[in-house]
Amino acid sequence: MARRKFATLKRFLDYIGLEGDRTIFTWISASEGERFANVIKGVTAKVRALGPATKLVKKL
Amino acid sequence: MENIDKKLREEAKRLLEEKKVDVLIGYETGTLPLTATPCFITNPEDAEKLVWNAFCTQNLAKFVHDLISQHRESQKRVKPEDRKKKVVGVVARGCTTRSIVLHLQERQYARDEVVIIGVPCTGYVDRKRLSALVGGEDIQEGALEGDQLVVRTPGGEKRIPLKDALAGNCLTCRFNNPIMSDVMIGEQAPPMNPDQEYVEIEAFENLSTEERWAYFTKEMAKCIRCYACRQACPSCYCKTCFVEQSQPQWVGLGEDATDTQVFQLMRLFHMVGRCVDCGSCVSVCPMGVDLRKFLKKIDKDVFELFENRAGSSMEDAPPLSRAKEHDKEDFIFNP
Repeated sequence: MARRKFATLKRFLDYIGLEGDRTIFTWISASEGERFANVIKGVTAKVRALGPATKLVKKL
Repeated sequence: MENIDKKLREEAKRLLEEKKVDVLIGYETGTLPLTATPCFITNPEDAEKLVWNAFCTQNLAKFVHDLISQHRESQKRVKPEDRKKKVVGVVARGCTTRSIVLHLQERQYARDEVVIIGVPCTGYVDRKRLSALVGGEDIQEGALEGDQLVVRTPGGEKRIPLKDALAGNCLTCRFNNPIMSDVMIGEQAPPMNPDQEYVEIEAFENLSTEERWAYFTKEMAKCIRCYACRQACPSCYCKTCFVEQSQPQWVGLGEDATDTQVFQLMRLFHMVGRCVDCGSCVSVCPMGVDLRKFLKKIDKDVFELFENRAGSSMEDAPPLSRAKEHDKEDFIFNP
């Protein structure tokens, strides 16, 4: 269910105009330390390229 | 149409007299010209009020759920051996039966608690579209003559082809005949134009990210958070809606634009595999927010990814309750 929900969520957020790269989903097992590090590196690289989020951000 | 009204009334009267149903939900003529409004009938004589025409807008499955769940709640205080079942009859077009299928699949009530009077549907008039066609003028009188709407406004009489005033979801409707029914009134309606159903969505998909975001924010800025869309939606039946939850508070209640966007986003996203495209939310929206642009996209994605159309068959389980080995994996991030 989570998997299917995520597949639609990513498409939907992209459709309303949020950058698709901001929603990232993957599976990592607790035993996959190296993979975890690689994924996080990948995520930060993608987010850094996009810059700070301006959409759906609440100004307090 | 006259004939359908007559058959509908006879059938409703029979069901009530024979105590096959405790209450019957249908439409009666509204107080404003060219409108119809939901009505609840318990007395067989009142069946004469029922109508079925192009002005019957709301999806009545909402009320089926409301009545049955309220009744069940009230029966909790009754000794188990004295509990009674309440049977609700409903006048249902295609989208209403889809909602009922969805409710049944989601185990909201049992099939024997609802009696479906199926009616063929050729689309309903979108009040906002009609209002725009008469230039926003007050509609003082109106009648349907064949496929023409004759509308009298302070500025004079106008003839409008019915097709021009039909709601967007009706024009491309795929299921305008009931999916299932206990009694079917009238002949099957001719198909609408389902091949065109995603044309609008595809055009929107081809816009740039910024254009799409601009449209989303523009539409959501209209929203006044009256929650009419939620109240009208047959798929919105949570006992406590996330917007009213305070522990945790999922979404702020202020006038911040982001809160409104998040509310709409979350409500829309609760419709994955559950929106039957009945257009009730759009028709009740006092601000004219283009909700369908986003709901139809969810419908399109669900069909593309999981080959499911919400409520289209009793055998086809809801898409989010199952998974297949060959579901697409392109959304998974693998650096």
